[in-house]
Amino acid sequence: MKWLLKIVDAVRPTFEEGGKLHVFNPVFGALEHFLFAPGTRTLGAPHIRDPIDLKRFMSMAIISVVPCVFAALYFFGLRIIPMIIVSYACGLAVEAAFAIVRKEGINEGFFVTGILFPMILPPGIPLWMVGVGVAFGVLIGKELFGGTGRNIFNPALVGRCFLALAYPAKMSASWIEAGGGLTGRLLEYATAPAATDAVTVATPLSEAKGGQMCSIWHLLFGNVSGSAGETSAILIILGGVFLLFTRVANWRTVAGILLSFVILTGALIQGGAVSYSIDGLVSPIIWHVFAGGLLFGAFFMATDPVTSPTSNIGKWIYGIIIGSTTVLIRNFTGYVEGVTFAILLGNIVAPILDEAVIAIRIRRLRSEG
Amino acid sequence: MRFRGGYNILLKGKPDRNISVMPEPEVLYLPLASKRFTFSEICVQQGQKVNGGDILAKDPDNYGVPLLAPLAGEIKLGAEEGYVVLDNVRKDEERADLAEKEIEHIEAKMGDGGVKRYKLLSLGAWQFFYDAYTGTLPDPQGDPQAVIVSTVSLEPFLARGDAQLQKRLLDFTRGLEHLQSLLEYQPIYLVLPDITSAFADLVRNHIRGYAWVKMVEIPLTYPYDDFGILARRLNLKRDKGPVWGVRTEGILATDRALTITKPCTVRIISIGGAGVDGPTHIMVVPGYPTKTIADKYVLEPSARLIDGGVLTGEIAGQSLGVETECRGLTVLPELEEREFLGFVRAGWGRSSYTPCFLSALRKRFREDYTSGVRGEGRPCVSCGYCEDVCPAGLMPHLIHKYLYRDLIEEADEARVDLCIECGLCSYVCPSKIDVRGELIKAKELIAKEQEEIRQEQLRQEEARRREAEARKESEENSE
Repeated sequence: MKWLLKIVDAVRPTFEEGGKLHVFNPVFGALEHFLFAPGTRTLGAPHIRDPIDLKRFMSMAIISVVPCVFAALYFFGLRIIPMIIVSYACGLAVEAAFAIVRKEGINEGFFVTGILFPMILPPGIPLWMVGVGVAFGVLIGKELFGGTGRNIFNPALVGRCFLALAYPAKMSASWIEAGGGLTGRLLEYATAPAATDAVTVATPLSEAKGGQMCSIWHLLFGNVSGSAGETSAILIILGGVFLLFTRVANWRTVAGILLSFVILTGALIQGGAVSYSIDGLVSPIIWHVFAGGLLFGAFFMATDPVTSPTSNIGKWIYGIIIGSTTVLIRNFTGYVEGVTFAILLGNIVAPILDEAVIAIRIRRLRSEG
Repeated sequence: MRFRGGYNILLKGKPDRNISVMPEPEVLYLPLASKRFTFSEICVQQGQKVNGGDILAKDPDNYGVPLLAPLAGEIKLGAEEGYVVLDNVRKDEERADLAEKEIEHIEAKMGDGGVKRYKLLSLGAWQFFYDAYTGTLPDPQGDPQAVIVSTVSLEPFLARGDAQLQKRLLDFTRGLEHLQSLLEYQPIYLVLPDITSAFADLVRNHIRGYAWVKMVEIPLTYPYDDFGILARRLNLKRDKGPVWGVRTEGILATDRALTITKPCTVRIISIGGAGVDGPTHIMVVPGYPTKTIADKYVLEPSARLIDGGVLTGEIAGQSLGVETECRGLTVLPELEEREFLGFVRAGWGRSSYTPCFLSALRKRFREDYTSGVRGEGRPCVSCGYCEDVCPAGLMPHLIHKYLYRDLIEEADEARVDLCIECGLCSYVCPSKIDVRGELIKAKELIAKEQEEIRQEQLRQEEARRREAEARKESEENSE
């Protein structure tokens, strides 16, 4: 690939200080480093570095979402592809603009946001809303706080929250019936039923509010309606376990969310505070774990290292807050789904949790040596 | 404290246990500065003929620790900046450069123990001792609360204890006895990789009846052999006095200095790393020309010669001779080529702390590292890897963020002073932040500030005293 490197080297002066296209240096840098690993050497001790870098770190998150993307294609049709393209294009434009203004490199963190965002949207949503949402999320949720590593809120969730609050009618009219059979909707460009039809498709959680709960097996495999990537529990668990195995996501957050969710739901059922149309204790709990965005949020959204607490104890508490808030929102408020709000609440609490845990650790360190 | 953190980097080119002897040198280049010492007080003249063991220079800031002539030869000063050059080197019977009068004086004042300590210092054995908390040279006349003797060296690659101890076990145990005779009742902790091994049994047999040697077993994880970590592991508190740390070579040097009263000039150092042909241990004298070693062992034309291990060593490429404190040389090939689509590759051949590469499915192996940073600098994403590997129990990412905002006081609160500079945080960082460098800088800054505060207090006290004196005087005058 020497010839390509030669071209890159030849073009580089145009983008460097004094070159014609100097302002686009971050864009050029991103492309260059995509093609060729950087040639920088260590200056002093330690003389060697681990092969892990942020590109690899973030790629793991993208790889883990791939099964969910394929599930979305199968269940909801080819429309997912333009949704992903729009999400990447609009988000990247904002990211690149800020990189140019800040004169920093384009950060890899966005590539995760860009794929996660369409996965948590209703599959029939108008494409312009995808663009507006991701631009809002990246701009307000991330760049205004200083970019990757400094944001408080998960940018994808900020974007979704914005859409849910700004266009509630359009969002709730954008659910699509999941396809089935051999090819699913793979050969279709399915759109949401026109609003005038007045036949809105309900998600399992909104049906459950009305006392109708679908089969757990449907939730496990994913042939139910819902946000594009969040329907198939088994594929989410598959990707999530991969993410935990690579240690990009911390298992404590996931365990905190799921355990607190299970325990609190179980306690509510036992105490008689809530009742579901499915009998027993275990089945409704499993049904609720699989339904909606809980698993997707727990594995892919809450585990974002930037917006979750840094300390291990903090991660446990953070998980517990998210898990139990989701239970409370789902059962006792007008919303059928609470994961988005619960994680955003967790994001708000995370710095305080860190503060408390760090204060304790520092007090313990003070007595050392 | 329990052991925590730590990580073994498996680097290609691990030195074997053999010790090769290098050919006799013709010229020696003795550096006037090493990691801890600056030999600023030159004791010889241009053209002077010296014998092996003569004191060439001293470091006045470190209790006058001497720079010894390893072999006989002719002094050339100023031939190379920062070096004492020894020309026409011959191997004669070396002698101990001890001032008889000084010894008598010390004996009268401090007795036998004082003489032994004076001998250790003058014969070059004292420079193998470390203060466990600060890493500096301890006071030779001071009294430690404990001594840690470590036979383990875990950083890739430094001279290993087992290589040095071959056939010299008797010297080692005798050295331990000498060391004990310097102490009153303080314990000696002997750190071993396995206290049930045949080697440990041998040591136990040799020192039978000496209750003051306590054996400590440590897991072989870098950097648990660090004296600061060991002192904390053994619950030795800083305010109860200094802790001396000494390694295998130091005990052997103690034995040599106190049993046969000979200067300690020969060192066994390791030569290892991915760029070495036949990594092994070599026996050299300080000042031995680096070029001769490089010509014999370094394969790669563009390789980095590191004085010390790959994590904490310094680049020795420009150095002419082996420095007096050298424990090993590591050769690391420089990064030459940029990898095409590097980050998309599966990574079967990459040995990583994280299981993000295909090599996670493989048994751990020694990787052929280069000096590449292997990624672009990025802001911290709080992944927590640095905290996981930190052996001192710090939160390096937190301190990094404090320093980013210039919050020095907070960094001090977070106990940046406990950092032992092992370099693991920089090694694992996916954002390629030089955390180690930042922590070291912060430590220096805090130390400087504390020194300034101390100076200011002294000045104020002085002013107050003078004022009081002046008042007294004026009162007396008025009377």
